[in-house]
Amino acid sequence: MTPRLAAVLLAVVLAAAPAAAQDIVLDPRVFEIGRELRCPTCVAESVSESNAAIAQEMRQLIQEQLADGRDRQEILGFFQDRYGDWILLSPPRRGVLLVVWLLPIAAAIAGAFALVFWMRRWRAAAEAVAPASEEDLARVRAALARTDAAPDPTPPSPRP
Amino acid sequence: MRRVAWVVAVVGGLTALFVFGLLRGAPDRNVPSNLLNRPVPTFALPLYERYFAAFGPRLDLAEHAGRPMVINFWASWCGPCYVEAPHLEAAHRRYGDRVLFVGVQTQERDARAAGRAFIERFDFTFPNVIDDDSRVSISYGLFGVPETFFVRSDGTLAYKHVGPVDARVMTQQVEALLR
Repeated sequence: MTPRLAAVLLAVVLAAAPAAAQDIVLDPRVFEIGRELRCPTCVAESVSESNAAIAQEMRQLIQEQLADGRDRQEILGFFQDRYGDWILLSPPRRGVLLVVWLLPIAAAIAGAFALVFWMRRWRAAAEAVAPASEEDLARVRAALARTDAAPDPTPPSPRP
Repeated sequence: MRRVAWVVAVVGGLTALFVFGLLRGAPDRNVPSNLLNRPVPTFALPLYERYFAAFGPRLDLAEHAGRPMVINFWASWCGPCYVEAPHLEAAHRRYGDRVLFVGVQTQERDARAAGRAFIERFDFTFPNVIDDDSRVSISYGLFGVPETFFVRSDGTLAYKHVGPVDARVMTQQVEALLR
């Protein structure tokens, strides 16, 4: 390894160290709680996943609050008090947000009812075959008679 | 024929939903503040040197209770902050005797030189503090920068503006604080 390459590698390791260092010392519960919080400055990223400065500070804040003896619910409440329900990645099950939770269940039930309804309808349609009329039967009989009267088109197989 | 119509309707609906998702752009950050009509958190943060003579090394918001305030959060890397900066300074020069204007550099750590350059560039005459660990930013429920909080004299939040302010917003909101 040339001294130049070694210097470049050392620089890369030193540059990456501060970001990695924070995550190494954090309690695993920080990431569990952070996964439930939306990173305020990111798009579709949680506080646990994001490397944005604000997300790093929020992780640090969660760590400090855990050290102070606060539990998960209290910490989520702290952020909710400042940012509102927006900060929670899973909307709370109350008020108008209850719709978000109930709608998929309602849709599944409605889908099941629709499936049962259509299956019954198809079965009823299959069972409701109208009996053949005398006219139809006469036509079938005539066709069969014509078939019986016609000479057999297949030649007799030669005997061995 | 009816079955084909159903399939076309379902596929068309899903396609419309997909196109809507593609075209709706970045998510809207203009979420109403949870602090609206509630007392805003106070803070005591270090000031930039040019304000030491008037305020000392730190600005403690609690010492200015009873005054309407305009609290602006900015960062030196934030493009829209450069756009709104002249409007903030102009509003301060016009209303500064009746309203406390405070700039808070946030969401960037150890960026004193960049912060100093930003302040010098726009010749900010109102106090600017340094929120190095973004704790004040979190306590105000900030989504990004710039954001500006218009605080009544009783300490409650009257209005939060997301994005760069302009002369119209400044006049309208500060006049409302003074009414």
